[in-house]
Amino acid sequence: MADLQTYSHDAGWKNTILRGLLYLVLILFAAYYLFPLIVMVSTSLKSLDEIREGSLISLPRVVTFDAWNYAWNEACVGVECTGIKVYFWNSVKMAIPAVLISTFLGAINGYALTKWRFKGANIVFALLLFGCFIPFQVVLLPMSQVLGKLGLASSTPGLVMVHVVYGLCFTTLFFRNYYVSIPDELVKAATIDGAGFFTIFWRIILPISTPIIVVSVIWQFTQIWNDFLFGASFASGENAPMTVALNNIVNTTTGVKQYNVDMAAALLTGLPTLLVYVLAGKYFVRGLTAGSVKG
Amino acid sequence: MASLTLDKVRKAFGPVEVLKEINLAIEDGEFLVLVGPSGCGKSTLLNLIAGLESSTDGEIRIGDRVINDVHPKDRNIAMVFQSYALYPNMTVRKNITFGLEIRGVSAQERDKAVADVAKLLQIEPLLDRKPSQLSGGQRQRVAMGRALVRDPDIFLFDEPLSNLDAKLRVDMRTEIKKLHQRLGSTIVYVTHDQIEAMTLASRIAVMKDGILQQFDTPQNIYERPNNMFVAGFIGSPSMNFINATLIDNNGKLAVSIERDGSPITLPLFEAPESYKAYVGKKVVFGIRPEGLTHKRTGSDEPGSQYVNFDSKVEVIEPTGADTMTVIEIAGKEIVARVRPDRAPTPGESMTFSADMSQISLFDPDTELRI
Repeated sequence: MADLQTYSHDAGWKNTILRGLLYLVLILFAAYYLFPLIVMVSTSLKSLDEIREGSLISLPRVVTFDAWNYAWNEACVGVECTGIKVYFWNSVKMAIPAVLISTFLGAINGYALTKWRFKGANIVFALLLFGCFIPFQVVLLPMSQVLGKLGLASSTPGLVMVHVVYGLCFTTLFFRNYYVSIPDELVKAATIDGAGFFTIFWRIILPISTPIIVVSVIWQFTQIWNDFLFGASFASGENAPMTVALNNIVNTTTGVKQYNVDMAAALLTGLPTLLVYVLAGKYFVRGLTAGSVKG
Repeated sequence: MASLTLDKVRKAFGPVEVLKEINLAIEDGEFLVLVGPSGCGKSTLLNLIAGLESSTDGEIRIGDRVINDVHPKDRNIAMVFQSYALYPNMTVRKNITFGLEIRGVSAQERDKAVADVAKLLQIEPLLDRKPSQLSGGQRQRVAMGRALVRDPDIFLFDEPLSNLDAKLRVDMRTEIKKLHQRLGSTIVYVTHDQIEAMTLASRIAVMKDGILQQFDTPQNIYERPNNMFVAGFIGSPSMNFINATLIDNNGKLAVSIERDGSPITLPLFEAPESYKAYVGKKVVFGIRPEGLTHKRTGSDEPGSQYVNFDSKVEVIEPTGADTMTVIEIAGKEIVARVRPDRAPTPGESMTFSADMSQISLFDPDTELRI
């Protein structure tokens, strides 16, 4: 009995120390990630004078949203001084259709690959998987030729198409893995009930796909919204997405460097993806693990 | 409602033949049970009838209509699945009417049909729930409701009770039987449970390795199994198989069983013509546990169907109604079914009666019934 007590006493001390260490490490990591964000937010809320006088990490004495307003409405991208808002809408016009179309096509692909297994379905899936590993840079030249031939060069629809084609591999993978865990008998029952390929998809499969739709939407939205390379290559000038515009603002070499405007513009660019995570984040984790453990 | 005919139906997946020339025919209103161990092809056969898979060869007919190339939805069949396959996103009501809706039945008629089926299956209070809110037994009922509402020619059941617990399984079994008696519908039912097969079927098809072993009424299959597989598969506890020799015992045929000490000689009660060829040869003597009992009254009289012999008792397993008594003959464990008040204690020697009117003889090489 006495032995047991000493033992648990020791373990208690050990636990406290280990737990303390654990928290210390976690706090350090959190700070490491949060610090740049704090600097960005605080800089964006300072006036340019204050930035010049104070140090990088000091908090703003006077909070002002002038830089945000300037970045949104007046900042110069190249020679046009229309603010970043034009390009924000460009990104919205690109991201929303591209996310929806690639998610929808991924769902149909996944459904066909698991529930209507045709000859060579595995090969098709393997090829699609292969698409996940093709680096962006490899396809730049051929893709620009294709877009040129289709008359979609330097346009938002062209960019949408590129992102749909590129995202298809990932969305198909998501949906295929999700649908594998849905019993085939469901489709058989619906077939006997008289439903065809699309009726089953719309009425039965899609309504039970919410978790994986959320995963696909978050993934695709983050990828497409944050993309720079395709945006810079296939949509120039007034059609450029926000990421490209941000780069043009920050890299302007003429005039005074407006750090507060740069920070505000960068935060504005990052905000939509952040918002998507906050709104749907819990479904993201749930959807990623769905199907991995059989209920 | 309609009859069902399978004519030389074959199914192969590439080089693997899973069904070899199946011939089956049932009349309108019959309850056919396909039974066999897993991997015997019974579910594949059901899928062929449903049209979920296509046969490699042969003809499937419902009534006079050849349905090989008819789409499942046009075969006028309904199926109940092992996992129930209820649509998780729909209420019970929607689940039941989905098929009708797809077929363009009016909302009014659908409501009436649901009401009728719900009443029949006593699931009226469940109609507005989702499948996830139902218990196993309730899901089972809804799955049957979905099949019943369509009033099909043939009902197909794919191991519908195997996901239920033991008590509920027995209840639902009775309910399915009642339903069949009431509706008089044609049913094809797949199971691996021989008790389900015996209790439900008007005819049983026993399958193994894609081959139809026997197709007959439950009683015939039980009493006159075609081969040792059927004999061992149907009935619980299984039929006892004892290696023996068929001998001519003073003009009367008998089986002689070697054992330590004196051999047991059991004169046959009936001797069909087919036995003659096996006189003096090795045979497998098959007798069900209920054919081996404690000593029966009248078993000493001449001409009795019972033959008595003594044996030492190894183990007893009381089941309440009967006591299963294990004895050892010729190195094999043999189960006898003894009335509890006549049950021996292990190690004791006692007299058993073998009912020679209920025996089977098999060829030890082909394993076929003689």
